[in-house]
Amino acid sequence: MVGATKRADEITWQSLLEPRSFLGRFLHPMIQKRRTLAGILSWVGLGLLVSFILIALLAPLIAPYDPIQINVNEVNKPPSAAHWMGTDYLGRDLFSRVLWGARTSLLIMVVGVVIALAIGFPLGLFSGYRGGRIDRVLVLIMDSVYAFPGLLLAALVAVILGKGVFNIGLAITVIYVPLYYRVTRNQTLAIKEELYIEAARALGAKPRTIMWSYIAYNVLVSIPVIFSLSAADAILTAAGLSFLGLGLERPLPDWGLDLSDAQQFLDNGIWWTSVFPGFMIILLTVGLSFLGEGLNDLVNPLLQKERV
Amino acid sequence: MPKRPSLLAYAISRLLLAFPMLLILLTVVFAVLRILPGDPIAALYGGRAPADVVAAARERLGLNKPVWEQYVIYLRQIFTGDFGTSLGEIYRGNSVWATVMLKLPATVELAAGGMIVASVVGIGMGVLGGVNRDRPIDVAVRLYGTIVWVIPIFWLGLMLQLIFAVALGWLPPSLRYSSNVDRPPTVTGLLTLDGLLEGNLGHVWVALQHLILPSLTLGLVLSGFFTKTVRANLLRTVSSDFVEAARARGLRWRTVVYRYAFKNALIPVVTILGLQFAILFAGAVLTERTFSWDGMGTLLLDSIESKDYTMIQGTVVIYAFIIIVISVIVDIINGLIDPRVRY
Repeated sequence: MVGATKRADEITWQSLLEPRSFLGRFLHPMIQKRRTLAGILSWVGLGLLVSFILIALLAPLIAPYDPIQINVNEVNKPPSAAHWMGTDYLGRDLFSRVLWGARTSLLIMVVGVVIALAIGFPLGLFSGYRGGRIDRVLVLIMDSVYAFPGLLLAALVAVILGKGVFNIGLAITVIYVPLYYRVTRNQTLAIKEELYIEAARALGAKPRTIMWSYIAYNVLVSIPVIFSLSAADAILTAAGLSFLGLGLERPLPDWGLDLSDAQQFLDNGIWWTSVFPGFMIILLTVGLSFLGEGLNDLVNPLLQKERV
Repeated sequence: MPKRPSLLAYAISRLLLAFPMLLILLTVVFAVLRILPGDPIAALYGGRAPADVVAAARERLGLNKPVWEQYVIYLRQIFTGDFGTSLGEIYRGNSVWATVMLKLPATVELAAGGMIVASVVGIGMGVLGGVNRDRPIDVAVRLYGTIVWVIPIFWLGLMLQLIFAVALGWLPPSLRYSSNVDRPPTVTGLLTLDGLLEGNLGHVWVALQHLILPSLTLGLVLSGFFTKTVRANLLRTVSSDFVEAARARGLRWRTVVYRYAFKNALIPVVTILGLQFAILFAGAVLTERTFSWDGMGTLLLDSIESKDYTMIQGTVVIYAFIIIVISVIVDIINGLIDPRVRY
């Protein structure tokens, strides 16, 4: 059985990479079809994501300067050998700030998307399996929230919760709970009609066992694609919130905050403070969406693309 | 053959469905503003006001009543069109409804500009990709669709300002209109349209110059989604039976694509237009901030900054109204042009 749990001593690297295992379902097509467009996209995306994770982890080691160190003698200097990306209006080294900013972005993204998954997934599973009136009410609620501009809703929650990395992560979950709910519910609806579920029911399995041992795993397989696409969106939303002054407190190194500061100096032709933080956001979001779309094409060629 | 549901029946059922949706959104707004931790009054006075002032303000806003009673009052006020008066520093005492209506045209103008750019660029690129399937040009179109979609809207705005306003000086960097030119008399509030109604093309040109960069910013980001959908639809239509039949009758490939497949591939674009409005409004808030565009988004942000609780509530509720009205209209248009939807 695909969803059967293994004992701890049975789990080896080999077993993780088997074609039918969770990781194997993605890694195998990535390796086998590495020369197709989808394969290339997914590898480029994975590479970008891994580099950003490394940058975020190693920021204290690789950043040449302290990202919040003010230097009045070096205000608004263009890129040079000493400051690769120039300095900002407080004389802080932009390259160091941009590296440290990866930390902030990834942290918010992980908090937001993981919490949304933790709420949306069980809710969708329950709603899809149970059906009936509860299901219809939940669908209506989730669809209504989904129809509303996510950024506005997140902004509203962010104002109430206050600033801070964790609060912003929490605020953006309101956008992604409906998304995960919908995906999980639709998959559950399809899977619960499968023959092996029927068989489990005939053997007397309890609804909870069927939901968590038989359906959950097979729904989870469709999550990574949505996960990386919504992660890209989450990074854009978080950057948008801090650009609007709703997300984080200065002097925290953050791409959105840096862009918000850069806007005031644009008229003086100071381009570097707005160009580089934007590049970082784009590289990371492009990486995540390449990975998501590449995997989508590799794993579900027939599946309609669900775009965030 | 089963009888096809009439358009009227479909429209009515769609309208009825909009009502609970509106109620849910209103409830979400209520919940976010009142049940979540955080006290609007404390926030309003920054925690420095004497206790009796705070108590009086709570009394005035009905915040001392039980939550369910507040909820009933809130719904009654909204359905009777009473949005209250502003509590903030900028608009204190002004009617919330009147203030929002004053700002709405700017947002409508920006949204319309963005939609035009998105449709033209998106449909053009999508067709280009779909017709040249799997050739380098198609790969380029697909990459464009993916990449442009994840560019932060405000960053694109800053870059366009940097290039076309700061470096080249071709277009104004921000605002809706030049301060040293007379504004056309207000009829619709849309400056380009008001200029046309006035018959003064000079004024129209000034308004258009200011509209170009914000519309491009908003439209280009949205065009990514259009590009992908149009391309995918065109490919699906091209491989359908009626296209094969047309080919079998000996029609040229080009004729088949542009005369037959094209029209059918565009039907779902109406649906995307509807889906994109929520994203459009979110994007418009960021675009407005980037270009100091004095619309509803700017109003919302200003009221958030000044803790203008009634104005925040009013603006968000009107956003919800607009979104639901648009989604109903789009669904009805969809039912009109594609009878399959009505089932």
